[in-house]
Amino acid sequence: MASAAGIIFSSLNNNTLSRLTGDRTVAAIPFACRYRLADFCLSNMINADISNISMVVNYNYRSLLEHIGSGKDWDLARRASGVNFVSPFQSAANATEAKMFSTHLEALKSMSAYITEMKENYVVLMDSDNVLNIDLQKVISDHEKSGASVTIVTRKPERDYSAKHPRMMISSVADKITDIAMSSVYNERHPNLALGIFVMSTLFLRRLIEEAVAYNLNSFTAYLLKNCKTQHYKAYRYDGYVATVSSFLDYYRCSMEIVKNPSARETLFGRKEAPIFTRVHNSAPTMYKDGAKVESSMLADECIIEGTVINSVLFRGVKVEKGAVVKDSVLFRGTHVSRGATLNCIVADKDVYVSENVNLSGNENMPFYIQKKRKI
Amino acid sequence: MYCKKECIAMLLAGGQGSRLYDLTKHIAKPAVSFGGKYKIIDFPLSNCINSGIDTVGVLTQYQPLELNEYVCNGAPWDLDRMRGGLSVLPPYQGNKHSDWYKGTANAIYQNINFIKHYNPEYVLILSGDHIYRMDYKKMLEQHKATGAVCTVATITVPMDEASRFGICNTNADGSIYEFEEKPKQPKNNQASMGIYIFNTKTLIEYLENDEADENSSNDFGKNIIPNLLGNGEKLFAYKFSGYWKDVGTISSLWEANMDLIGETPVLNIADKDFRIYSKNTARPPQYLGPNSKIVNSLVSEGSRIYGTVINSILSGGVVIEEGAIVRDSVIMDDVVVKKGGAVYSAIVDSDAVIKEGAVVGTEGAGKENIAVVASSTVVKAQKKA
Repeated sequence: MASAAGIIFSSLNNNTLSRLTGDRTVAAIPFACRYRLADFCLSNMINADISNISMVVNYNYRSLLEHIGSGKDWDLARRASGVNFVSPFQSAANATEAKMFSTHLEALKSMSAYITEMKENYVVLMDSDNVLNIDLQKVISDHEKSGASVTIVTRKPERDYSAKHPRMMISSVADKITDIAMSSVYNERHPNLALGIFVMSTLFLRRLIEEAVAYNLNSFTAYLLKNCKTQHYKAYRYDGYVATVSSFLDYYRCSMEIVKNPSARETLFGRKEAPIFTRVHNSAPTMYKDGAKVESSMLADECIIEGTVINSVLFRGVKVEKGAVVKDSVLFRGTHVSRGATLNCIVADKDVYVSENVNLSGNENMPFYIQKKRKI
Repeated sequence: MYCKKECIAMLLAGGQGSRLYDLTKHIAKPAVSFGGKYKIIDFPLSNCINSGIDTVGVLTQYQPLELNEYVCNGAPWDLDRMRGGLSVLPPYQGNKHSDWYKGTANAIYQNINFIKHYNPEYVLILSGDHIYRMDYKKMLEQHKATGAVCTVATITVPMDEASRFGICNTNADGSIYEFEEKPKQPKNNQASMGIYIFNTKTLIEYLENDEADENSSNDFGKNIIPNLLGNGEKLFAYKFSGYWKDVGTISSLWEANMDLIGETPVLNIADKDFRIYSKNTARPPQYLGPNSKIVNSLVSEGSRIYGTVINSILSGGVVIEEGAIVRDSVIMDDVVVKKGGAVYSAIVDSDAVIKEGAVVGTEGAGKENIAVVASSTVVKAQKKA
């Protein structure tokens, strides 16, 4: 079995999720009742025996640091290896000029000393805005067999696919990538969407960084676009469910999809050998009281339900009082819905308090967002 | 390494719990599941860490495999420490003699070296048989204030049940003048909870004398406490008030589970000021299907409910299929109740499967007639005559 190290990028496209990322990085966005997006990256890696993991952080990463801590809950508190954070480096001498990472390659360049010392044969780079449960060990072994320099994991997007910002789209013949283009809509010439997961040998990554330093390159994407016709890049098609969270509306739709689509739940959570790990909170089981009526919903622990919950995603410690109705909504940790209140197509951030008989409604194409700790 | 502690805990977790029948066939009683995501041993271990006690010896003997795996290095209770922490203490082979633990006192006697290693002023003796939240620090404070050599925690029990317990007869100041093990005519209803704090020196002295006495049954309640009183030592009772339940029988285990639900549960398991910690399994969130009906119940992570659940406690990974009903029951990890299956007034142990149309238990059977389905059993529907 090939040894591999992992590099996770927590937030290079923060701006696209402005509401959910007001004070958290993309990787720290809560998803599916009890997780944050980073949990899926970390779990995919740990389930493939990748335990030397670097988490590249840029800004707003306090909640992510708090969430991951020592990495113990992912079995990543290790003597050798484990999870380490790579943040922009500010020396006292150049504090005024210090810059955030604006691209993957800038972050990688700043890690070059560390990458030089990596003992693993392969490196998996992963963005944190794609939620999936993929067997990375298989991706690595297929990469090894193919002799390609880079493997890019892709999925087939829907024909009406459109993203807020251009993403890497790929055309390939028999898994060999023939062209790469940036596009924010489906295009027939490049029918596959890259999922921000790249596998390459450590040696290849070192050379890429050397080249980037020598020629002052700043974009990993540009490098791939430029070289895809001369170098051997392999596409690895993933057919399981992927939640691509690139905008607030995407986020809402993906949340609704996991309650409505059994196969989405199955591919994310049904792999017994590959559970998704998250921070342990020791919360009590969820209590359904008299008057509870719950349909097609997903709930974390420590909720108290006395009212009606339909097609919704409830995080830890949500309270729904008697006579309250929650429909098509995503309620973050600690949301309190008082008696007689009704919520429809709502995304409520942490610790929102909805008073008695308040009616709030968004639309499935325009869900209503309530910011952290708001009292309504 | 210097590792002196003020107080360490010795947790007697070797009990078979034979009155739990099939539930303890392959596991020790402290490893029995409780309240959806807990095991009985989570309660004394959480009490320890919540009371500032970070050194705990867990004495195991009967079917220790699952228990050992569960407590591992103590990390779930924050008991994986550089100094102290959790140690599993099974019976071992010494250079003179090797023995199984003969009784509660003998079990501690055989681990005197563990106690000496930490050189504590006080030793807290606990058992892994009870569901309760208790701040042992308060008991220790009283122990120090009274200057007793031994303090026995007591709880008020109904007078008509007092003859089932060890009863402490006390003076007005709380000092104990007499200890009666299961008296026919109890003089009061202050029952020993099997929780003791000893001055270490006294404990070691009495354990050594007890070991030398061939007629002793090496038990705290039967021998050590009466011997202390017989020698005129200063013993005090520590009156505990709060929830405390011995879950040694099927009916009491079921009843304690039911105490977690209801309009105002008798035991509020979600109390954030006194968390009960448990080992976490990485399970997905719970999912309730389009036609599910669930009232007055506790449900844990990884469970999927498509049928009806009423007045019940569900552990992790349980599947209740459409048209199935679970009522007044305790369902442990990864149990599957298939379409049209029914479970009434029962405790169903982990990995059991209730097949299509099968019925377990009787509706409204009551606590004395709880049905038990052993772990990994497959219950099929009975053929109609």
